[in-house]
Amino acid sequence: MKLLIIEDEAGLRESIEAYFTEEGNICETAYDFSSAMSKVNLYRYDCIVLDITLPNGNGLDILKHLKAGQQADGVLIISAKNSLDDRLTGLDLGADDYLTKPFHLSELRARVAAIVRRKAFNGNNILTLHEIFIDLTAKEVKINQTPVKFTRKEYSLLLYFIANKGKVVSKSAIAEHLWGDSIDIADNFDFIYSHIKNIRKKMVEAGGKDYIQAAYGMGYKFTEA
Amino acid sequence: MKLLDKYNRINISVTVVIMLVTGVTYYFTIHAILTHQVDKALVVEEREVFDYVQLNHHLPQVFRTNHQEIIFTPADDRVKRKFIDTSYRDTKELDLEPARAIITSVMVGPQLYKITVIQSTVETEDLIEDVFLITLILIFILVIALFLSNRLILRRMWQPFYTILNQLKVFNLAEDKTVASVPSTIDEFTELDQAVGIMATKAKDDYLNLKAFTENAAHELMTPISVINSKLDTLVQTGQFSDPQSKLLNDIYNTVARLTRLNKSMLLLTKIENGLIHDQQIVNLKELLRTSFYQYEELLGSLNIKLITQLADCEVSASLLLMEVLVNNLLSNAIRHNLPGGTISVVLDQQQLRISNTGKDGRIDIERVFKRFQKSSASEGIGLGLTICRQICNNYGFDLQYQFSENSHQFTVNFTVSE
Repeated sequence: MKLLIIEDEAGLRESIEAYFTEEGNICETAYDFSSAMSKVNLYRYDCIVLDITLPNGNGLDILKHLKAGQQADGVLIISAKNSLDDRLTGLDLGADDYLTKPFHLSELRARVAAIVRRKAFNGNNILTLHEIFIDLTAKEVKINQTPVKFTRKEYSLLLYFIANKGKVVSKSAIAEHLWGDSIDIADNFDFIYSHIKNIRKKMVEAGGKDYIQAAYGMGYKFTEA
Repeated sequence: MKLLDKYNRINISVTVVIMLVTGVTYYFTIHAILTHQVDKALVVEEREVFDYVQLNHHLPQVFRTNHQEIIFTPADDRVKRKFIDTSYRDTKELDLEPARAIITSVMVGPQLYKITVIQSTVETEDLIEDVFLITLILIFILVIALFLSNRLILRRMWQPFYTILNQLKVFNLAEDKTVASVPSTIDEFTELDQAVGIMATKAKDDYLNLKAFTENAAHELMTPISVINSKLDTLVQTGQFSDPQSKLLNDIYNTVARLTRLNKSMLLLTKIENGLIHDQQIVNLKELLRTSFYQYEELLGSLNIKLITQLADCEVSASLLLMEVLVNNLLSNAIRHNLPGGTISVVLDQQQLRISNTGKDGRIDIERVFKRFQKSSASEGIGLGLTICRQICNNYGFDLQYQFSENSHQFTVNFTVSE
């Protein structure tokens, strides 16, 4: 897929770019309003990761410009502003999703993947990966044509892993993805392990491969190998 | 004691003392004047006797007139002329009356006579009594008049003061209301009013600046935290780490997560306090609680905490986001401060939400906990949870109560308090 990252903070921009640039993804970047405008005017992207506060302009104006030109680019807003008004303004203007800083790159990746899938499959949301077949609309998972029952959290975790395949996903990122802020009361993430154990078990029992590896004590990795 | 009462008390007691002293002085003065008057009459009587003796060379015939009596008694020596207080026996009523007498002597031929002229002073005494009584009545009326006028006039005069005082009592920095000016014709009160107005405005400005600073600081921190977080995410992709290294990385992750939550809570609190969250809607609390229970499912399981619920349908008009925060904060507190194998009981009806949990700490000092960054030493939280809960409740006029009984902490949110 082809992405545009509009973010003025160099450190963050580079990290996002580095995280996304793999497996044939094309990642372009813009650091201010005018360079972003010229890019969106010249090229089309599967998804635009858009920071709202930019030098010389507001990211929401870029969004308005895109919508005025009836461009189909997916837009994900990233902002340090967490106020609901900003969020609603962004979504009302036609953004596909809104992510508050700070976030885990794996979370961003999962959200972008979801946007791109929605745009690409036009409602007919089917995700396949080797023997894994996921109907995103019905939230059904089949492995080698055998339906496998996943709980809501297991299903969400599986999608999260697939969106970040080949990447090490930290335990704290998984915890935040599944439980949100309320996870701060847990003093260990043991129950992440039990969810992952369940996913593995269900997949292997249905005749699939075990794709999930523990990654040096700090997280997990979904590998295709 | 109120200024008015204190003033009245002093004023009236001073008045009474002065009046009493005046009354006593008055009494003795009048008494002296009237006695002097009687003495003069006695001297006139004495002179008449002398004149009569000089003219007729015998004693006058004695008539007993009303309230007066003249007694002649033969005497051997010349008696020293003097005035005395004595008593007089009334001829008709036969009772003793106070009297004044002059004792003197006269020579009738060779015989010396002692003359005693007694004049009853009963009328004088009556007069003095009357005067004294009138004085007392006057004092009494004066005191009452003073008391009433003080109460009425002073109360009215101090009215601006009490108005200002009441405004100060209800003055709240976080509220939008300012202190209204209280016009007054009294210079002191006008000055007080101006000083209070200036002070309130300044306090409010400072407070707003401070809040704006908190919000901006928290905002500005988000970007560097984002960078750290993203760099960490990138770093863990780079390769194999040893156990100590991965432990370090995990610690950094957790610390950054903690920093993020702290920052978010501060921002949220500032926003609630500033009334910046406006997405009021009908929130189904039963649904909300169910979602929360689902979120906490594994955590409850891992701590072996039993959840007892009794949920009726309840809808409130509030921000969904804030109600989520309220419910989640109360629930996570109930989990965090619970015992392994303890219980949490959640009861929801149309009036209130009651969350109680078993706990080890004993009673908590709730007013202290409601303050920012107050937490027990065992707590892993950031110390803003209950402050946020209370602020949310304040915002919607809910009443947040805490009770502790039989090792059970209970938080109750009453929804219908001020509706």
